[in-house]
Amino acid sequence: MSSESSDGALARWTQGVIHDDEQRKRLYRALFYIVTVFFLVTTLFPFYWLLVLALTPSRLILGGEWDLPLLRPQGQANWAAFGDVFQQIPFHLYVFNSFVLAIVTTIIVLFIASLAGYVFGRLEFPGRGALMLGILAISYFPPAAFLVPLFDAFTGNAVAVPFLGVELFQAPRLVNTPTAMVLPFSALFLPLAIFILTTFYSQIPDGLEDAARVEGTTRLGALFRVIIPLSAPGVATAAVLTFIAVYNEYFFSSIMALDNQAAQWSPLVGGILSYQSQYTTDFHLMAAASIIGVLPVVILVVVAQERIVSGLTAGALKE
Amino acid sequence: MSAEEPQGSPARESRRSGPHVTLVRWMENLGETGFAYLLLTPVFLLLGAVALYPLIRTFELSLYTGIVGTGDPEWVGFQHYVDLFTGQADRLFGGPRFLWGEVVVDGSFPFVHVEGLLRSALAVTLIFTGVSVFFETLIGLGQALVLDQDFYGRRWVRVAIIIPWAIPIVIQGMIFHLMFHPSAGFATQVLAPLGVVAARNTLNDPSSALLIVIVADIWKTSAFMALLILAGLQSIDRSLYDVAKVAGATRWQQFRMITFPLILPTLGVAILFRTIQAMRIYGLIDITSDCTVVPSLSCMVVSTFITARGLSAAVAFVTAGVIAIAVAGVIYQQYREGF
Repeated sequence: MSSESSDGALARWTQGVIHDDEQRKRLYRALFYIVTVFFLVTTLFPFYWLLVLALTPSRLILGGEWDLPLLRPQGQANWAAFGDVFQQIPFHLYVFNSFVLAIVTTIIVLFIASLAGYVFGRLEFPGRGALMLGILAISYFPPAAFLVPLFDAFTGNAVAVPFLGVELFQAPRLVNTPTAMVLPFSALFLPLAIFILTTFYSQIPDGLEDAARVEGTTRLGALFRVIIPLSAPGVATAAVLTFIAVYNEYFFSSIMALDNQAAQWSPLVGGILSYQSQYTTDFHLMAAASIIGVLPVVILVVVAQERIVSGLTAGALKE
Repeated sequence: MSAEEPQGSPARESRRSGPHVTLVRWMENLGETGFAYLLLTPVFLLLGAVALYPLIRTFELSLYTGIVGTGDPEWVGFQHYVDLFTGQADRLFGGPRFLWGEVVVDGSFPFVHVEGLLRSALAVTLIFTGVSVFFETLIGLGQALVLDQDFYGRRWVRVAIIIPWAIPIVIQGMIFHLMFHPSAGFATQVLAPLGVVAARNTLNDPSSALLIVIVADIWKTSAFMALLILAGLQSIDRSLYDVAKVAGATRWQQFRMITFPLILPTLGVAILFRTIQAMRIYGLIDITSDCTVVPSLSCMVVSTFITARGLSAAVAFVTAGVIAIAVAGVIYQQYREGF
């Protein structure tokens, strides 16, 4: 009987949705909120779980007594985990290394990409299209395709001209130094910055550059005193995206610092991997370390989300 | 190549001195083409040294065996490539490896293991790429449609959706590693009874681990697709929808006749772009599971580059070749649009 009445209600409601505009709008609205909440829950849940794990004392985690489906920290919330993270290994040094690598790479990339962005955005010359395509193509190759010779050179072996066997020079031993990571990072993330800056620099009206030239600045002076300052949002976009990309990089970060030691310039990756390989049962510390490692980028996303959105769309769609 | 350096750097420090003035005058008098190539020199140097040289050298190394630089490398021609495709090279990859005490993994991957690990690594990479890009596109489209609406709190929903994209790979991997870990995680407990993942040794079970890695990638990268698709959505002329409403089109018809055709080009670029990125998969596998459990092409390069350099270079070159096929598609697209 109850099912019959609910059938009736369902039928009436369906009729309403089909014929009544108001009701249909309400349905769409409700569906929209359900979908939105679904996306919010799926994207944020892993972070919630990480926090739960960090706050649960170690011996309770090993018991595996999760009160499903409502995951909550077991027992007394253990905030001490966030202090202990720095005790077991010098985690702050790993984060510091990550920041240094990211900032140095960002500065190098911005400088080189500014020159290239000016050239591609504002100058007409033969070979422009072919060069842009070439840079685009190189940026698509996987880091694995560069690894073997780079590792060879960075461990202090001779750099030779391929197929001719002519040795050019003996590279210094660069593994375990920032250079071994900054060089590949710069090359990997240069193309995206070039495409973003090309888009922004090409939008500055020619008149402004001409005015600066009439005032007596050189072409380079006009770039650094007029075009770059006027494209500040574009430069900020390229900077934020490069910083995030370096901070998140895994491949060279995990390989070029050989022992994942903070003293050997191993970045965040090395810190987290050390927990995974050395303190194999300190799950609360792995979680706490992950939360600390995530915080800088979360803050960056909240502060600079407009820049990220415009940069990704300008850069990637132009590419 | 290195002639640029001594000229450029001291001149920059000493302003107004003789060489500086000469340099500026020389630069100002360069033609537009000369000036363009001068400013591009740092790009050529960097990409040449860190990308182009390694790429060519990788191919050269793949034709030799032994470790170049220490002892005499031996020329073997295309033997490494032949070995890869005939399964002769298998013994150099994987092998038993210990994860968490007594759990032993053997390097095989029966799910798609025809003969030779390269086949399976190729298959794993392609399955991973295909499945994850497909779902990322679907979910990204959904997220983009949500973000395209005007509603209270849109800014914060957008932040929440972007955050997974912005977090380090090592932490993304750690989250999913912990979730399915036999002693720390809860997810196996929930999903194993449903038959989604293996009940024991979830992270060492090839098909379960591949599924987990795919889900982790979808979780992180859907936002990227969403942002690209959103850009396409927001470039659609809104008056088209007004016309459609007057004509009496339903929401679904509006989507099918206006939205979808207009975002199709954006969608195509985004999918190709993601495909190329997805084929590089390494870090996520390394931290969530292990390269012997879910062997991808990049995984094979990393696990052999110290012990079997020539073979590793051969795998790297095959990887680059596979990706080059997708790259050729993109380049052709750009070329047609008149880059």
